[in-house]
Amino acid sequence: MPETLTQPAKLLVKLHGKGSRHIELSLETFTIGRKADNTLAIEDPAVSGHHARIVKVQAVFFLEDLKSTNGTAINGKPITRHQLHDADVITIGQHRIVFQESTTASTAAPAPSVDLDRTMVLRGTDRTPDEPALTAKVLIIAGRTDRLEYPLTKQVNVIGSQDGAVIRLTGWFAPKSAATIARRGQNYSISPSQGTKSLLVNGADVVGQQDLKDGDQIEVAGVKLMFYGLSGTKNASR
Amino acid sequence: MTDPLLGLYVVCDGMGGGNAGEIASALAVEEIHAHLAEAARHADLPLIGPCDATVSAAANRLASAIRAANDVILRESWSRPDYAGMGTTVVAALLREEVLTIAHVGDSRLYLVRNGTIQALTTDHSWVAEQILKGLMTEEEAEHSPRRNIVTRALGVESSVDVELTEVPVKSEDMLLLCSDGLTRGVRPDDILHILKGSEDLPTLADRLIAMANEAGGNDNTTVVVVALRDELQAGLWERLKKRFVA
Repeated sequence: MPETLTQPAKLLVKLHGKGSRHIELSLETFTIGRKADNTLAIEDPAVSGHHARIVKVQAVFFLEDLKSTNGTAINGKPITRHQLHDADVITIGQHRIVFQESTTASTAAPAPSVDLDRTMVLRGTDRTPDEPALTAKVLIIAGRTDRLEYPLTKQVNVIGSQDGAVIRLTGWFAPKSAATIARRGQNYSISPSQGTKSLLVNGADVVGQQDLKDGDQIEVAGVKLMFYGLSGTKNASR
Repeated sequence: MTDPLLGLYVVCDGMGGGNAGEIASALAVEEIHAHLAEAARHADLPLIGPCDATVSAAANRLASAIRAANDVILRESWSRPDYAGMGTTVVAALLREEVLTIAHVGDSRLYLVRNGTIQALTTDHSWVAEQILKGLMTEEEAEHSPRRNIVTRALGVESSVDVELTEVPVKSEDMLLLCSDGLTRGVRPDDILHILKGSEDLPTLADRLIAMANEAGGNDNTTVVVVALRDELQAGLWERLKKRFVA
């Protein structure tokens, strides 16, 4: 299965005269063109055989025109290379593709019109707004693990050999749980597990708990990891 | 309700006329416990409701148990006229190894006591809490609001329930406090902390908290559960060792 490092971005594809549909950008490279070997094949003589592609670099998507005959436009302007942002409209010939980074819905709460002295339930209020689905990740620099890169998708991400560990250690003497990386809101912190003799962040011992920042190097149980935080994400304004 | 073998601790606070509230909270505790005990015996017991990938399998199981309880209470509330409209809040903690899973619905809370500080790990599902979150009300105003009794989520009210799941790593010197709003309405976290720092045994600490809630004008049905992780993690280890050698 391909690794999805962030929440999947989507394309809303509106082919001329053919209605619209959603496609998830789950691959690192997404190609658009007339020929059948493209990820999105468009049968239209106005579209070049290999017309354009969308490439994912870290968490950012780029649209590149592949020297197509009729060109590729973003929001009406012709481009050769462009960093995609939410709701950008890609135009190829008469076809439109809308890039959708993430969707967060919010609804206003109705004001309650009740006023009683005992505990009661108010139905149909809004949920607390979802936190942005962006996740930090760690890269394995050295040591035995089952993968080289792990998105920190859970609230508590265990580094260890146990079932359910997010960062799975595969060394022979790897402890079941060496340390945990926990998320509270937008902040990540690491703490050693019981019995872990040494947990280093940037070479310094961690005793209780330490907040992690982008680029921190973690050493524990014979494994070296690099933490990639949420830097570069904008603060949600609400 | 506590079951150290499962690592399960639950506080429910019922609502509804007559003794319907008590019925609802008793049903919730019973069903949550039964569902988890069943899952411990049969790992393939189907999960009720959606699976949340941001938390562990155990957390999803706990949410499933709470949804099962929701179904039971809702069904019962239709079975007798005097049960109509009953419901309950719940805060449940599941402790495994060094990860604490918290599931809650409504305004019952879980506090973590660590290194001489106290911190709420749950956010109330109440109207005033929503106002505070939106910045429309201060905590002080919320305490005196005539609407402070309004919860925005509860078990037994609708056919589905939105369970909030939280996971945090814990340490053997930590303490947990699960409590109904009877405690937090009249007693400040600092006062709670002061008592929990005491050296008495846990039942005595719990009694002192309840006495303090009643003094502060509590309605005499405050529920608290105090857990010292040192005891529980060791007890858990001991039980596992016993099981390994006996079985």
